[in-house]
Amino acid sequence: MDLLSVLSKVELFDGLTPQELSDVARICTQHEYRTGQVITTQGETGGELYVIADGFVEVVVSPSGQNPSPRTVVHLGRGQLFGEMALVDYGPRSATVKSIADHTLIQVIDRDDFNRLCEADNHLGYVVMRNMAADMSFKLRHYHLTGR
Amino acid sequence: MSAIYKVSYVVIGESHPGAILNTDHKPNIGDHISLGSRDFIVVEIVDLMPARGEFHFLHATLRPAPA
Repeated sequence: MDLLSVLSKVELFDGLTPQELSDVARICTQHEYRTGQVITTQGETGGELYVIADGFVEVVVSPSGQNPSPRTVVHLGRGQLFGEMALVDYGPRSATVKSIADHTLIQVIDRDDFNRLCEADNHLGYVVMRNMAADMSFKLRHYHLTGR
Repeated sequence: MSAIYKVSYVVIGESHPGAILNTDHKPNIGDHISLGSRDFIVVEIVDLMPARGEFHFLHATLRPAPA
């Protein structure tokens, strides 16, 4: 499947014009991961946004304090994004994310490229930020429903 | 434009973190779903948020499929 087709099925980019979608595609870099490969590490700095084109990843959080055991909080599959917290708040990675399938394909977007695009095209910036907020809301609802 | 279903899967009956993924088909009660190497059965489906454009937002409760 070509990149534009992949991106058009990602909620983050829902509502973009074909030209805007092409602009996003130009700042994407595809990476492939095997089972067990770490993509981001909790506590490290990083400014990339990750969009899962295919495969599965596992999101693992190691709480500090009395219960330091790592805990898998969710599996994410096709069309989902991660890395958005560090993208917008410039803080350290909040979780370790690793591939749990061979041939997991990730589109990686650099923060500086992303910010330049949002500032140059305010409609694109508004739509993507609105969708990112909706995605965070969806994840929060999912988390509440897990009863954890 | 075909519908895209963004689904929050939560597993009951065993320790599993659940999953979020997009699918082209709306899951129905009784469907068998594979998450990684594990098979599950859908026991409940609810709309999590109103649909927006071609995106539909669902929550599915899963039970482990009998071996």
